[in-house]
Amino acid sequence: MSKIVVPGEMVADKPQRMAYTFSDGQKTYAVALSLLGDDGKLVPLEGPYEPLVEDIVVGYVTDIRFTGYSLSLGTPFSGFLSSRDTRATLSLGSIVQARIINVDEVRSIDLADARPLPGGSLEKISPVKVPRLIGKRNSMINLISQMTGCQLVVGRNGYVYVSGMGNHSLALKAIRMVEAQAHTTGLTDRVAALLNEERAKAGQPPMQMPREA
Amino acid sequence: MSGSANHPPLLREDGQRLDGRSLEDLRPISIEARVLNDADGSSLVIWGKNKILCGVYGPRECIPRHDESPYRAVLRCRYNMAPFCSLEEHGRSGPSRRSQELSKVITECFENVVIAESYPKSAIDVYIDVLQSDGGTRCASATAVSVALADAGIPMKDMVAAVAVGKVEGKLALDLSKEEDNWGESDNPIAIASRNGEILLYQMDGQLTRDEIDQAMSMAKIGAQKVHQLQVDALRRVYDGASDKRRVPLELQPGEVRQA
Repeated sequence: MSKIVVPGEMVADKPQRMAYTFSDGQKTYAVALSLLGDDGKLVPLEGPYEPLVEDIVVGYVTDIRFTGYSLSLGTPFSGFLSSRDTRATLSLGSIVQARIINVDEVRSIDLADARPLPGGSLEKISPVKVPRLIGKRNSMINLISQMTGCQLVVGRNGYVYVSGMGNHSLALKAIRMVEAQAHTTGLTDRVAALLNEERAKAGQPPMQMPREA
Repeated sequence: MSGSANHPPLLREDGQRLDGRSLEDLRPISIEARVLNDADGSSLVIWGKNKILCGVYGPRECIPRHDESPYRAVLRCRYNMAPFCSLEEHGRSGPSRRSQELSKVITECFENVVIAESYPKSAIDVYIDVLQSDGGTRCASATAVSVALADAGIPMKDMVAAVAVGKVEGKLALDLSKEEDNWGESDNPIAIASRNGEILLYQMDGQLTRDEIDQAMSMAKIGAQKVHQLQVDALRRVYDGASDKRRVPLELQPGEVRQA
């Protein structure tokens, strides 16, 4: 059984280096509201996005300069996509998927490998819930996109692009459900049930859930 | 200045306080986390007749830029009293010396626990609004801020619980109400880090002897532990149900007042 721990709560009785903890030299304590699993690892329940090199993020263009584009990523500062690192021509408000190539000591973010994501909407979820929305080997994304016909691009920063084709509102409903119930188990089954129920209302045949390997 | 022509007695003949509490009792306290949909973290603390709403935003861009630091996030707590929060003129004329002082002491209290080095050049904004006040709002506010920061997932080394200890009619009393605060002999708001018991805020109004301070500290520690437990319960309750409260359309349940 996992247990919810609050900041300052002891998670190990010896000093350990672990994500979302700190040590006073004797014991190890949580620094954020998190789930402490049986393996002694912490999964944060809430928190800001910590940019890392090689993360795939989704953002939108907030500024166009001669040297490149500024992308809003939901971080304190926007990411910078240099014109040298992209061939895409973007306009203000364009939704873009990109890869982080550098994060410096004051958390300025440099991006590359931009891919414009046209004709859809941008949804924001809590960045710590992104792994849940992706699922094991993309199972959750595959489930939602197959059953709604929408293409989903989930950025590590918590921005999610949902393409305009397909049942857009149902995809959003599923995303919100994943976000709200991220801390519970058996979520993929319940999302599948919700999607099938909505499909039944629309007179569509139920779909089998893609099996996890 | 005890029980005189200037004010009614603050202790009843049976030794209890005017609201029926004993000297070591806290007022009824209810803490609710995640009460605002669009804040990163939030809390509502109902502490006796005090009602304190707190919202946390950030880490986000620091505006004005000259406040930012390349080494850490700046923490900015803004304590504000609503114009309708009390019968006195608190809050009625906008920012005051008093609200500046409270903003400052609460900010400094939390600078000790928030791990701000993780977010250079940014700001963490904490807005504390006192909707109703009845003495002890700075302690209730510090308690609310701690819950809201934890709810926002801001890394902290510790939670903070605060409670006041004062002296009424020559006796030490925990968690002063407005009458006891105004007419008592001493008021000592104390904020305590829950993990290691460090004192993060100690202000003193009036006077206590050294022995009384020792005794007041131990009373405050016991009170703060009770408050801490309520804070933890409030945070756990957010994830109690099948879904996290902020993500579903919000219906604020006034809820039963949880007795400390």
